[in-house]
Amino acid sequence: MVTGNRVAIVGVGYSTVGRNTGLSPDELMIQATMASLADSGLTVRDIDGITSVGTEPLNDAWMLGIEPLNWWASGLMVPAFAYSALSAIAAVASGFCHTALALRMIQQQPSGASMAAGTAARGNPMVASYFAAAAGDRQFLSPFGAGNPTQWAGLLTQRHMAEFGTTEEQFGHHVIAQRYHASLNDDAIFRDPLTMDEYLASRYVSKPLRILDCDYPVDSGAAVIFTTEERARDLQKPVVLVESYALTAIRDLNFEILEDMVRTAPAESARSLWSRTDLEPSDVDTAHLYDGFSVITFQWLEALGFCPPGGAGPFVEAGNTRLGGSLPVNTDGGACNVGRRHGANFCIEATRQLRGECGERQVEGADVSVWSTAVGPFAGAVLLTRG
Amino acid sequence: MSSTEPSAKPPMPVPDELTQFFWDGVARHELCIQRCQTCGHYIHYPKTICRFCQSRDLAGERVSGKATLYSWTIATQPFHPFWVDKIPYTLATVELVEQPRLMFMSQVIDCPEEELEGGLPLEVAFVEMSSELTLPLFRPARG
Repeated sequence: MVTGNRVAIVGVGYSTVGRNTGLSPDELMIQATMASLADSGLTVRDIDGITSVGTEPLNDAWMLGIEPLNWWASGLMVPAFAYSALSAIAAVASGFCHTALALRMIQQQPSGASMAAGTAARGNPMVASYFAAAAGDRQFLSPFGAGNPTQWAGLLTQRHMAEFGTTEEQFGHHVIAQRYHASLNDDAIFRDPLTMDEYLASRYVSKPLRILDCDYPVDSGAAVIFTTEERARDLQKPVVLVESYALTAIRDLNFEILEDMVRTAPAESARSLWSRTDLEPSDVDTAHLYDGFSVITFQWLEALGFCPPGGAGPFVEAGNTRLGGSLPVNTDGGACNVGRRHGANFCIEATRQLRGECGERQVEGADVSVWSTAVGPFAGAVLLTRG
Repeated sequence: MSSTEPSAKPPMPVPDELTQFFWDGVARHELCIQRCQTCGHYIHYPKTICRFCQSRDLAGERVSGKATLYSWTIATQPFHPFWVDKIPYTLATVELVEQPRLMFMSQVIDCPEEELEGGLPLEVAFVEMSSELTLPLFRPARG
């Protein structure tokens, strides 16, 4: 168990989520925050710490009327919601603040087609970087036709296949299992069942990576409220406790030249996570493992010790990760189906499973859940228990 | 390419004081990688300190251009106008023979997809991508 204050999750919430919502990051942030406050029964007056990836936390706090603020943090080149959540957990655990709001706001990125046509670059700094003359590290990527995330994901996927004999069908089994879970989730965007034939017929984006292996770009806001166990016991929802947490970076941000593409930051993050708890992988009832691309979930299954190194393909193919299997994974449907939330959806789904709020997709007797974010150079994971 | 005129200009590298040696080398058709002059480790991408021994004495040195294939992906979707009429192409992470885990991002050319496999021996080839841009790409080693 982590030393310091025991930390609990007491509120979770989403904004409206969808394609081209027209909502500003501020609006997404406000909607998600209000939803998490309503879920917790707290008001803005109870919050004294804030962290965000995707908006500016001091501006967020000022707009919301959170004053005084005892702690804040923001990040740019970080493992997305893992950074928000883990910063907030550390701040509450240390006593830096007593109740922290962790945020992740995302605006949908343009399609590959509009990027190729050159019409997407205007006004979007992330996309413009593909079109600008290539400076810094990008001079070793963009001129070569590299640098898009689907391409490094293709490299990581191919290496998993080359090193372990993982098959395209095994990635398909993962995608199909997630889609089945999404069919039981009213919040999911894609809810129609998927067959292996449909998976194998879907187009490659960067072979062997298919479009169905990629998370779905949307506008989304997500908020999670962390506080001390003592405060959590006075609130309205079942208590969910942070048992262990880990945030890890192993190198700079160049995914394309990772020295080992199948044992990346999740392996180190998992080692740290398990070193800080008496619980073991066999104690975990549900897992919520980042799926920006299918291979990332495979890396986490192996890193966290749910299967041997290289064993994710057979583990998934055998049905272990489906509802009713030995370890239901991504029971919300994953970001491939609920839309890109950069890990926040996994924190929120793990929390809801431990509260018993998941309806048709509820895993009976869920006492321990793990969730994770990111891959490659950096990663984070959190182990949660029912309080 | 069906046209003699490229459909768009490629994203051009902007050399800086750390990387000028690399692009100067490419112009001479030599592959050059930064090397620590104190401990001998190669470092890519170029940095201002050696991460192995913290020496500041770093310089670009020509390497053999021999490598093995570590991983690859067939780019089937262009993300920049320059590549629209050039897909599919094979992006590859190659391991230069000079040092274990000395990785370099490039393309593999002149190799059918079914012959791509981990560990495939490769050699550098300098390819004119446009009138302005030459790149060090890799092809299966001869002999």
